[in-house]
Amino acid sequence: MFKTFHVALREFIATVATKGFIIGVILPPVLMGVVLTIMPLLLREAAPKVEGHVAIIDRSGQAIRSFEKYMAPEAVRGEMRDQLGRDGSPLADSKQAEQGMKMAESMVLGSAQVSVRVLPSDADEAAERAQILTGEGKPESPDQRLALVVIPKEAVTPAEGEKPSDLQILHQPKLAVQWVGIIQNAARRAVVDARLASNGLDAEKIRGLMAAPKTDTKSVTEKGDVKTSEALKMLLPGAFMFLLWIAVFTSGQYLLTSTIEEKSSRVMEVILSAVSPMQVLVGKILGQAAVGLLLLGFYAGAGLIGLSAFNRMSLIDPLNLLYLGIYFIIAFGCIACLFAAIGSAVSDVREAQSLLGPLMIVLVIPMMLWFPIIQNPNSVFAQVCSFLPPISPFIMVLRISGTEPVPFWQIPATIALGMVTVVVFAWAAAKIFRIGILMYGKPPNFITLVKWIRMA
Amino acid sequence: MGNAIEIRGVTKTFGPKTAVRNLDLDIPEGCVCGFIGPNGAGKTTTIRMIMAIIFPDRGDLTVLGRPSAVESKDRIGYLPEERGVYRKMKVGSFLNYMGKLKGMDSGPLDKTVKDWLGRVGLADTYRKKCEELSKGMQQKVQFIAAVIHKPDLIILDEPFSGLDPVNRKLLRELIDEQRGEGRTLIFSTHAMFEAEQLCDRLFMIHKGNKVLDNTLDDVWSRYDPSLLDVEPAAPLAQVDVTPLRSIPGVANVVVGAKSIELKLQSVDRAKAAMTQVAQTIAVRRLELRRPSLEDIFIQLVGGNEAALRGEKEEGGN
Repeated sequence: MFKTFHVALREFIATVATKGFIIGVILPPVLMGVVLTIMPLLLREAAPKVEGHVAIIDRSGQAIRSFEKYMAPEAVRGEMRDQLGRDGSPLADSKQAEQGMKMAESMVLGSAQVSVRVLPSDADEAAERAQILTGEGKPESPDQRLALVVIPKEAVTPAEGEKPSDLQILHQPKLAVQWVGIIQNAARRAVVDARLASNGLDAEKIRGLMAAPKTDTKSVTEKGDVKTSEALKMLLPGAFMFLLWIAVFTSGQYLLTSTIEEKSSRVMEVILSAVSPMQVLVGKILGQAAVGLLLLGFYAGAGLIGLSAFNRMSLIDPLNLLYLGIYFIIAFGCIACLFAAIGSAVSDVREAQSLLGPLMIVLVIPMMLWFPIIQNPNSVFAQVCSFLPPISPFIMVLRISGTEPVPFWQIPATIALGMVTVVVFAWAAAKIFRIGILMYGKPPNFITLVKWIRMA
Repeated sequence: MGNAIEIRGVTKTFGPKTAVRNLDLDIPEGCVCGFIGPNGAGKTTTIRMIMAIIFPDRGDLTVLGRPSAVESKDRIGYLPEERGVYRKMKVGSFLNYMGKLKGMDSGPLDKTVKDWLGRVGLADTYRKKCEELSKGMQQKVQFIAAVIHKPDLIILDEPFSGLDPVNRKLLRELIDEQRGEGRTLIFSTHAMFEAEQLCDRLFMIHKGNKVLDNTLDDVWSRYDPSLLDVEPAAPLAQVDVTPLRSIPGVANVVVGAKSIELKLQSVDRAKAAMTQVAQTIAVRRLELRRPSLEDIFIQLVGGNEAALRGEKEEGGN
């Protein structure tokens, strides 16, 4: 027992205490968290100062007032809020969403001082255009021309049977893309307002009538009505399954490569002089199970912190986390046995690919079935897939964390089936491992592996 | 004193090839037994079966009084032929790990590891990664891993291969020391000099069959000295060897690079033959030579090959 523990401990440390593991597995989410935390501060500090004016030549003479109105700081801010906080956005109505909007406003508007300078409707476009170039590269000042908007008369009142003319917006090359968008938007809306006015219609009133109402969507639960987001409801089951998949396959891959390395470096025979093949197999699987649990805990913890920060913890049922742990053990047990058996049978990773290929095809099935199953978690198809090892744990995690409750009997039934599958896989893996681990030369095929299972 | 290992009628096949055939072998406790034989003879297979790394198809093994080495792994030290270390692991950690797998108490283990590293001249490698060591240094580390837990039985598969003369001498001394502490040692080798120096007992296997299983003394007495080595006083090219061929009791005469070898029909004829040689030609040196283990090895393997060839020819006829 102690020997198995020592094998497991070495396996765990040899995997976790490496630069590859830290850089490849732990560092990315940590860095992402750090970046998300410090990014607003950095961006706030680095927000470029925008100062100058946007000139407008309105040949129609009807769009200037609206353009000035839409270019006013308050109007720009309001438009941004409408864009960012669109109804149905997964993170709308949270503190973080509000902070995000403030950050975006700060980035775009910040210390900007942009005014509108109205030019005569018959102004020389070429001469005014030249002023954009003369201001380029000079220190910011109110006289610096950031952009020139030219509204042809035909854009507001096109000739009979003709299409309305296009607007022309000329700007400094270095003008921030957000500001180009703001100017485009203001000019377009101003022209539309002018067209409506020229037809005797009230633009404000029509906009008010056309604005789609926001919806207030809530789930009715025993604890009361809970604000929900359809997008998150769809994403969460997928996130749970991907989490399980990543944890299982990352640690499974580590098990495969470490087994191959021990075999090819011939250290295995030294180890087998001290412990039995079964002790080695069990120790290695336990060590990598700990690696998988570490990954699962790490990523799940990061996810929970994220949900908590966005006030979406109500979407998580604590029981689902328990099921995630149980199905992880089953999924990892199956995959680890298969990977350890393949690792023991081959001498290098290249040889392993031919045996892994068919296995991987089976194991990516849950990824392909993700969308149809979360759309209808209790369909006959989903229920049949739930009882097919070794994809059963992935499908069950997908269904359990979905919107529809799974028939309760299916949870203990699939867990029991999973346990039996793990025992059968472990039995077969032990037989292959015992023979394969000291077998060198021509790599075996599936038929040979079956023979080993039968003869051992 | 009983037997450390008893093997009865053991056979092991790999597909169509029989690696070990119907083998019987007793290795007494406290002796140093050399396993010799040509490449592919079945030495490593026998050792692996003794270690319960692989299992015989037929026959029984008893190791340290138990039906399988699995039950007494902590009392056995093993240095396999295909040696390996965890390349990224530090030397000290590797030996500590091996000690723990061998059931050693963690408390004094680290000190024992350091002591052993010091004894084999690797004290400064404790914190080095195994991959930073030379092949010979790695071999010494692996030897430590095999003996660190003071096993009753030590099995070393080709322990001298890849070592320079200084380290071969060191390893001989360490093996001798283990023998002095009453441990049973088995080592397979092609290094006949080391086998002559160290072994109490010799076991030779060829094509899966046992061809020799005796104490070294028995081997010497069985393979009597029957070779006269003659170094003439005159240059070899000027010596007429024809009279030597007619000396009674001389079976064969071979002219070598520096001396002439006279193969005698039996050792009883040695005295008379030596007198007659001295009377026939002027000699600088005349020696009745004992066959080396290498000679015996070649004789046994060659004889076996000839016998096998003969069998085939007879079968063909």
